[in-house]
Amino acid sequence: MSGGIARSRLAEERKAWRRNHPHGFVAKPETGPDGSVNLMVWHCTIPGKAGTDWEGGFYPLTFLFSEDYPSKPPKCKFPQGFFHPNVYPSGTVCLSILNEDSGWRPAITVKQILVGIQDLLDQPNPADPAQTDGYQLFIQDLPEYRRRVRQQAKQYPPLV
Amino acid sequence: MDSKTLIDGKSVDCDESEENISEFFMCCVCLDILYKPIVLACGHVSCFWCVHKSMSGLHRSHCPVCRHPYHHFPTICQMLHFLLLKMYPAAYKRREVQILEEEEQMGIFSPQLDGSSFESKQSSVLSSPSNVSSVPCSASEDKVCARMQESESGFISQDRVRTSSMEENNLPKTNCDGTCNEVSITDALCSACKQLLYHPAVLNCGHVYCETCIIVPEDDILICQICKSPHPGDFPKVCLEFGKFLEEKFPKEYALRRDAVEHRRVQLENKSSTACSRNASENGVQSLFLPGDEFPTLQGKDGSMVHLAVGCDSCGMFPIVGDRYKCKDCVEAIGFDLCGDCYNTQSKLPGRFNQQHTPDHRLELIKLSDFTHNLMLGIVRHLEDGSPFLPQYAFEDSEDGSAALESSVAQQSSDDSGVAPVSRDTGNDEDQSNEPSSI
Repeated sequence: MSGGIARSRLAEERKAWRRNHPHGFVAKPETGPDGSVNLMVWHCTIPGKAGTDWEGGFYPLTFLFSEDYPSKPPKCKFPQGFFHPNVYPSGTVCLSILNEDSGWRPAITVKQILVGIQDLLDQPNPADPAQTDGYQLFIQDLPEYRRRVRQQAKQYPPLV
Repeated sequence: MDSKTLIDGKSVDCDESEENISEFFMCCVCLDILYKPIVLACGHVSCFWCVHKSMSGLHRSHCPVCRHPYHHFPTICQMLHFLLLKMYPAAYKRREVQILEEEEQMGIFSPQLDGSSFESKQSSVLSSPSNVSSVPCSASEDKVCARMQESESGFISQDRVRTSSMEENNLPKTNCDGTCNEVSITDALCSACKQLLYHPAVLNCGHVYCETCIIVPEDDILICQICKSPHPGDFPKVCLEFGKFLEEKFPKEYALRRDAVEHRRVQLENKSSTACSRNASENGVQSLFLPGDEFPTLQGKDGSMVHLAVGCDSCGMFPIVGDRYKCKDCVEAIGFDLCGDCYNTQSKLPGRFNQQHTPDHRLELIKLSDFTHNLMLGIVRHLEDGSPFLPQYAFEDSEDGSAALESSVAQQSSDDSGVAPVSRDTGNDEDQSNEPSSI
């Protein structure tokens, strides 16, 4: 394989996360059935912000890192069909800081991505829609949109 | 970044447990201690390879920290390199071993920095031919540093006696405050005023000056006073991390320097010709590209050709815009190339990647028609062995229209598919097709 720094950077990210991370968030590399750790795939949980319709939900998110990380951003995926104007039907998050051509910088940490996505939940960007359902409700029927968001929050209760 | 906890973590996790590495010297790309640091014109620092791997072979690159665009791959900052080597010998040694291992896998090497080459050829960061695996690391470091100061500034270190006493030890002992505390002001002198650096700024050649000591001649290009190489691109901004470190390390002296500089600045205000007041983009390499040009145009503004994924081994321009001269005699896989300007100024520098280029090698002008060949070669080389000299946009999500290119090489990638192709295959097609149609 190429002499990329992806794994060593991810190992450092992991250390930094264990030392300190924002409350309610989870981020850990995938563990195989044999106990081996795959640093290239992380399973995370983003808590909905208190005081928003997203509160109470703990949303599962998967990071898929490539060997080109951190030159290239990880792919961030919610479960398929996740309801949000800026999430593709596949679950992939559409966010400027995750786009190599616009906002991504190798200095952005796992923590910053997760906090950035948490912010995105309650502050969708209608200029950059990624799914029909969430987008149309958001611009045409806000009460229904909010109902759907609250309903989705209940689908993702705390894991404990 | 949580500097405090990072430092704590270091002391637990690493073999160099007694070295508390300053937060200022953590690379924001690999999150480890800086190794062969490079300071970009925006003042942000990263490791040699971290900068190189973040660069684009197709057009201007962006700073990994602030996305400030730049077009020239700067030379390693030797002052920072030797400072780090001196302060954190164990951590730095660990990095050296680790990077060398990676370089051997890649077959491409970063410049070897040793005292003798620096002494004899201070104009260049690049060393004379030396065996990569036998880099002197510990015993001679302090001599190296002392020599470096003398050669760079013509200044005999007052702390010479103190520094040289360390030469007897194999590795300098760490002090109770966690650093190898033998760093003195003489390790951080301005190349021009020979005093402690105040608001240090680093040129493309890697030489460090006080911000106010960099004077741009009227209607001329900024030239380094040490090595006489021109500084392409934006006027260098202060390297804040380095400045903060110096302020923390030498509070009294730094305050004195501040007073002196501020005093002089007030005096000069009337003349209004100080370097720092100069418009940053005046000498800008940005003139080669259209403003806001983020995507490959394959041509410079004046219609000159962009040589994808090929960099100039002298000034660091990457990719080369305009004429490109390729060495016919260098045997290294990465090759040796010069841009038109550097070819015409008869650059005597060896390669940026430790190529053993000598002035009697023959160079040939590469014709424009080689361009397509060059592009495909880069792609294929990347797919085959993960060569870092890759035209990055050929592998992107197909937003920028490279879809055809991507699919045409997709089959070849199957044997070498790491995570990158997998993640690309899983969702993007769907995503891309959904985006326009669904709204």
